[in-house]
Amino acid sequence: MTVEVTQHEQTPLWRNATFLKWLAQIVALLGVTAFFIILASQAVENFNRSGISFGFDWLSDPTGVDIREGIDTKPNSGARALAVGVVNTLRVTVSGIFAATILGIVIGIGRLSNNWIVNKISTIYIETIRNIPLLVQMFFWSAIAITLPDLTVDDVGDYWFKASNRGFALAWIFPSGGFWPWLTIVIAGIFVGRYVARWQRRIQEDTGRRTYPATAWFLTVVVFGVIGWFAWPLLGFLSPVLHGIATFVDAIPAIVFVILIAIAAIGSAVWWIRSFFEARRTPAGFGKLTDDDWFRLIFAGVSGVVIAGLAFVIGGFTIDTIAGDTATVAELLRTVVSNFFDWLGRSFDPSLQVGAPLDPQKAEVVVRGAGFVNYGTSGQVVSVPFFAVWFGVTLYTAAFIAEIVRGGVLAVPKGQTEASQAVGLTRSQLLRLVILPQAFRIIMPPIGNQYLNLFKNTSLGIGVAYADIVAVGITILNQTGQSLPVVMVWMAFFLTGSLLISAIVNYYNRRMMLVER
Amino acid sequence: MTTGNGEQTETAGQTGHVLGEPIIIADDVKKWFGDFQALKGITTSVREREVVVIIGPSGSGKSTFIRCLNRLEAHQEGTIIIDGTELTNDIKNVERIRSEVGMVFQQFNLFPHLTVLDNITLAPQWVRKLPKDEAREIGVQLLERVGIPEQAEKYPGQLSGGQQQRVAIARSLAMKPKIMLFDEPTSALDPEMIKEVLDVMKELALSGMTMIVVTHEMGFAREVADRVLFFDFGTIVEAGTPEHFFTNPQHDRTKLFLSQIL
Repeated sequence: MTVEVTQHEQTPLWRNATFLKWLAQIVALLGVTAFFIILASQAVENFNRSGISFGFDWLSDPTGVDIREGIDTKPNSGARALAVGVVNTLRVTVSGIFAATILGIVIGIGRLSNNWIVNKISTIYIETIRNIPLLVQMFFWSAIAITLPDLTVDDVGDYWFKASNRGFALAWIFPSGGFWPWLTIVIAGIFVGRYVARWQRRIQEDTGRRTYPATAWFLTVVVFGVIGWFAWPLLGFLSPVLHGIATFVDAIPAIVFVILIAIAAIGSAVWWIRSFFEARRTPAGFGKLTDDDWFRLIFAGVSGVVIAGLAFVIGGFTIDTIAGDTATVAELLRTVVSNFFDWLGRSFDPSLQVGAPLDPQKAEVVVRGAGFVNYGTSGQVVSVPFFAVWFGVTLYTAAFIAEIVRGGVLAVPKGQTEASQAVGLTRSQLLRLVILPQAFRIIMPPIGNQYLNLFKNTSLGIGVAYADIVAVGITILNQTGQSLPVVMVWMAFFLTGSLLISAIVNYYNRRMMLVER
Repeated sequence: MTTGNGEQTETAGQTGHVLGEPIIIADDVKKWFGDFQALKGITTSVREREVVVIIGPSGSGKSTFIRCLNRLEAHQEGTIIIDGTELTNDIKNVERIRSEVGMVFQQFNLFPHLTVLDNITLAPQWVRKLPKDEAREIGVQLLERVGIPEQAEKYPGQLSGGQQQRVAIARSLAMKPKIMLFDEPTSALDPEMIKEVLDVMKELALSGMTMIVVTHEMGFAREVADRVLFFDFGTIVEAGTPEHFFTNPQHDRTKLFLSQIL
């Protein structure tokens, strides 16, 4: 008996699922690309029609922007002004992330406490803070801070901590002469200490004699720190080396930097494709690649080539420099790298660095001019806007982190607690050794999201006149009318920062993942 | 056989060991969950080296009872004395008793973030304060004893259920307990893995460990138990040697239960 198979010689294209899938992918890609090209050309055209030339000249043009606080209060160019804003944003973000994490974990565990009062206080904190808009909270902290008493002549003097309607001033330790060579020695101490700790641990394992690896490690770092405090000028020989590197970098043709970036782009595409195959390699072989796999591989390869090409195009752009002449982007990049090595060279030069590596300073209140009292230059001054933004995002984010921590701890099965108790672990041991390590795996990804939120929420600082990148950008935008370019710089900054934060969080997350099967 | 004064019977158990002094004494133990009374006055005692199997329908309080013995649940009335120490809300007593009483759970409850060997050495290191290499030595020996020395560096998620349960037994044994409690140790296992766990438990019983086992494995009860307790509605309905219990049950409820499962 024969079975008759109804089968055309060849499936027509419009019925071929594979072909249709590829067509859909390519059409979608082309459509999205075309949409953005049309949008961009339309925007440029509109700009030109309104008499403002679309461009980025404002980055190098001198600017009259005054900034209330930061690394430079009277920047000489748009780019410099934005840099001040960037540093201010990062300051509040990094310190906020640290503070919010600690506070959030404490409140989250408090929320789980059997102690009625601790439990209720944590609950009230969370429910209050997360149900009021962050901007309103920033206004509130700002309003609270400016109701503090003004500084008067009676206040003149030195302080560990001083609060007034001009903000807060506190004693602080600043890096000073020879800080970087000293830090280099301390970091070397950390690495050497690791070996000392390992050696001590081996002694304990071999002989059974009790040793203290962690203490040994700590003491090693302290010894390096103390020796380095006096001995850092010995590293002065590195100074001419670093200056030499700077001179060498200056001598490299700028195109080399572009080529390096292009190689990195293509290299990472190749690396991605390789790890894609590695992940699919099984003892039985590669298995069969699906159409989606092929599309991913081709997309990775094409993006690598496109980014490499873009490096050449952008690297060749000529822009005005602050000095008044023109340079290509590649040449600017070279200048940045060589300036960095020059700066390192100066940091390691004992003849330029005076004083101790660390400089502790008390805060001071001084008379500036006739009857005008303010904080002096020593100590760390925290302005009212910084305080309002930092306190606002810290408390706000901590409330969400607390809920995540609570959820994470509750998500660890009850059997884990019982098993730990059954083998005799104490309450603190069971929390530290069993519950928290497992809870952290659950809470890391959502906490990463909260870090992103915190970073983005600092842009609300404009409401309390904090000089972050948004506030500085608004000032530039008002002066030059270059709204779209400024907004593009903002977006690029926040996008880059966010991707960086998620990359760090993902890295930790992968390292801590549970092994199953 | 009787001792001189005739009170203390020196019986040799099924496992061939001479039973010692009572090491667990429960007197009129009562426990409520809300308004539901899970234990309605349990009175029994377990002697050193004795193997006691507890059977009964679900909800009869058998798990609750053995969980009271290392205070994973707190009983509300009555007294429980473990190895001469009464279980009260004195944290120090509780911690001491827990380090002397091992427990094996239905769901294994291994620590998924630690390797098999680290699962076993965790408590000896932190509770018994043993040096790491000594604890690891004990861990390796125990893994050999339960038959899976080659799995030491794997994570629990990479093992089969039967292997996980054997690791859980090794983890309890690492604390050198005087008493082992088993709370339905084979109920979550595929049929073909039950035997490997029961074999380890049998070996343990033969070595003279005092054991209380909540289980539905009647074969194990028949073969290894010195005494069988039948629980229902929070009370001990019937108690006796396996032979007596399985061949000549006295109580109607016991007869009904046995007729349904055998």
